[in-house]
Amino acid sequence: MLYDPDYSATVWNHFCTPKNAGVFMVGTPGVLNGTAGARKNGRVVEFQLQVDTDGRVADCRYRVYGCPATIALCSLTSEKLKGGLLAAAATYSVVKLAEQLGLPPEKRAAAITVEDAIRSAAARYNSHLRSTQAPTELITELKDRWPSP
Amino acid sequence: MKHKVIYLDYAATTPVDPRVAEKMAGCLTCEGMFANPASAHGPGRAARGAVERARSQVAALVGAEPGEIIFTSGATESDNLAIKGVAHFYQQKGRHLITSRIEHKAVLDTCKQLERDGSEVTWLKPDADGLIQPSMVEQALRPDTVLVSIMHVNNEIGTVNDIAAIGRITREHGVFLHVDAAQSAGKLPIDLKNLHVDLMSFSGHKLYGPKGIGALYVRREPRVQLDPLIHGGGHEHGLRSGTLATHQIVGMGEAFELACQELAEEAPQLRSMREKLWQALRATIPQAVLNGHPTQRVCGILNVAFPGIEGESLLFACSALAVSSGSACTSADRQPSFVLRAIGRDDQLAGSSIRFSVGRFTTTAEVEAAARIVGEEYHRLLDLAPAG
Amino acid sequence: MPSRILSARLLLNMAIYLDNNATTSLDPRVLDAMLPWMQGLHGNPSSIHRPGRAARAALDTARAQVAALVNAQPAQIVFTSGGTEAGNLALKGVCHGQPHGRVLISAVEHAAVLGPAEELIRKGWQVQRIPVDTDCRLDFNALQKMLNADVCLVSVMLANNETGTIQDVKAVAAAAREHSALLHTDAVQAAGKLPVDFVALGVDLLSLSAHKLGGPRGVGALILDQRLDLAPQITGGGQEHGLRSGTENIAGIIGFGKSAVLAHLELEARKRHLRTLRDTLEAGLQPIPGISIFAEQADRLPNTVQLGVTGFDGEFLVMELDKRGIAVSSGSACHSSSGQPSHVLLAMGIDEALARSALRISFGMHNTMDDVHTLLAALTTLVSKRSGALVLA
Repeated sequence: MLYDPDYSATVWNHFCTPKNAGVFMVGTPGVLNGTAGARKNGRVVEFQLQVDTDGRVADCRYRVYGCPATIALCSLTSEKLKGGLLAAAATYSVVKLAEQLGLPPEKRAAAITVEDAIRSAAARYNSHLRSTQAPTELITELKDRWPSP
Repeated sequence: MKHKVIYLDYAATTPVDPRVAEKMAGCLTCEGMFANPASAHGPGRAARGAVERARSQVAALVGAEPGEIIFTSGATESDNLAIKGVAHFYQQKGRHLITSRIEHKAVLDTCKQLERDGSEVTWLKPDADGLIQPSMVEQALRPDTVLVSIMHVNNEIGTVNDIAAIGRITREHGVFLHVDAAQSAGKLPIDLKNLHVDLMSFSGHKLYGPKGIGALYVRREPRVQLDPLIHGGGHEHGLRSGTLATHQIVGMGEAFELACQELAEEAPQLRSMREKLWQALRATIPQAVLNGHPTQRVCGILNVAFPGIEGESLLFACSALAVSSGSACTSADRQPSFVLRAIGRDDQLAGSSIRFSVGRFTTTAEVEAAARIVGEEYHRLLDLAPAG
Repeated sequence: MPSRILSARLLLNMAIYLDNNATTSLDPRVLDAMLPWMQGLHGNPSSIHRPGRAARAALDTARAQVAALVNAQPAQIVFTSGGTEAGNLALKGVCHGQPHGRVLISAVEHAAVLGPAEELIRKGWQVQRIPVDTDCRLDFNALQKMLNADVCLVSVMLANNETGTIQDVKAVAAAAREHSALLHTDAVQAAGKLPVDFVALGVDLLSLSAHKLGGPRGVGALILDQRLDLAPQITGGGQEHGLRSGTENIAGIIGFGKSAVLAHLELEARKRHLRTLRDTLEAGLQPIPGISIFAEQADRLPNTVQLGVTGFDGEFLVMELDKRGIAVSSGSACHSSSGQPSHVLLAMGIDEALARSALRISFGMHNTMDDVHTLLAALTTLVSKRSGALVLA
């Protein structure tokens, strides 16, 4: 595939060879699912965060329908979130990342969709922290509640 | 690092045929005919001769008289001249125009400008196959209609309108018919002696000629009159002033003459090349859907919708191919094609459609490689996307 | 295809070409720049794929080159199909959709301005001609009297194509500005022979044509202030900021850019060369009876001499010189077949008979001193033959 000068090399590479794309196997523990966007609007992101017992994001997966910027942002963000705290993932600014990558202002919407998908995944965990369940049981419960994709 | 693209965008523009390039260069070297064709001296007369020869060549391809061909700077100018020219000249007769929603922007924007200036325009909606049926035109005619403008071949989906039938209707009603033939000249036979078409626009660079030159056919019998667009020295029988570009006119003439000689053989070759591409695409992507009428189409254009993936990504993933999503004149803004929406495609399907257009220099190897690349990228993006 | 530099004599099968104001021969260096774009595959500059973007980049470079010639910004350049279209776009673009007012044009404008002006009259506008003096210079008193709040546009050419007279456009701009009228100047003949500075001149619109400065035919430009609200005349596709739609004439525009670069670089050398030829010609014309140089006292283009030859018909002289292998014209190329005496000369108050005898010689860079001497010899012979015949009769 030929390099396109409108996008930076980083964006282009992550579009051509996105990292961490796909879905976790059914039965993988600690998977939080989030989704954002709608096909009729040209952009859908389904983001999965795999959270370990320490509350860290062990791994990510995603599926994306959208423009090159959306795909690249999913890939780049997934790398950034791995190993970090879930709380950090929930507040990570994909919009800022997009600006740093030199993406044009029209692509802000792409960044927002990716953010929304990640936050919607993280929210599954946060909303249950209000209950008194221990983390491991919580995760099992979440696993049961959200069928695998 | 420069990579060679596989060029499948002949509908946007064509390479200059080497035989045309040679003729043009001949006009520009020191021995060539650089003089102003309007000048009285020897060099001026030589230039004028070359221009008149080119005029005959253009006329010959389309069954017109040389005196009915005016040179312009391109099909866009021809469209402007034809439509505004008739609308202004005959405005006492009426101010109603009929055109379609899927014309080239040159026609659409010109009609919109006239609308702002007080004309009324009926915008015909094509059927699901992208065709403007003659009956649609007939139903829209009014006593104050002065002009109908319907393209011969649609530049995005390649569908062919029955301009013979439309012409019979407009002639019967005493209304002028303008046809944008930028995509059809040299690809379909056109015989203006047997068509009730009053004005026809031609483009040089869509037929292996240079950019920046076109022509307008203006019927003499029965006569159609025009208000000129460009006033000045009275060139082209007063219809188009401004010093003519001899080398470009000669280039367009040569291109049209080559097309005249090669049309019979070339059109079936292009059709078969296009079919190869379509079959190869369908083989790897059974979900692919054709946009526009399956058979009433010009030989070189193939517009395909690729469901389930997003259009900009597909286009960028296939950046080894020079293709188009939407008309070249409007590729810069990422609106889904208005032509595809007019034939009923939703935004997503319109957005993930690609126009492939083959031409004189397209090879089987290129077509096969293109189908392979599109297939690979399509499936990669489909796998990346959520289900459903 | 190789290009070669030859003297004017070898061009056109041994003819001497002295009609450079009608058109110039393409500079071989410009042809070299254009040739790659006249063959092979080049994208449509509006396409977003690689070939399209390459074409777009070349277009942008050429735009900057033309802008540099006239000290304008690239965004102020609108490419057209020539000087005539540029003049049309200026006049009609300014007046379209405006309430009808007045337009002032000099009495000596080229058809590129006269044509659209006549169309404006047909559309209900009032167009008045600013008179000129016997040297073709604009009558400033008359201009001041004619300017008032009704006037929406003034059009005065920078240099006249027939007599070569150079107008004080800067002063016209100051006057127009006082009355809030826009000013257009047809700089088609001036560019490449004089410095043309869009900013310094103070005009709102400026027309150029490539083939008058060694570039190809079929391409020109209108330079304009971006804040102007101009109505496009050719619509559809939105190229040139929406002011001039249509797939761009890439090879032509690149040629225009190259010719602009060369004109900019070589301006002084060109002026000197052309002026020397002109001065030699004018000196050589003095002794020939019956010859008068029009606008002799005015500031004129370095390459242009328009003269009257008492007792002769200009068209006859053009034909006779043509037979002797010398190409000149009687007036503007656009009018050569019309049989009318030049409106420029009539506006200067020159009597019709003398106006009909007009001959215009316009030098180009290919011309040499030999050409001047050959012309003088031919003219002398032609003029004396007739005088001789008269004497004998």
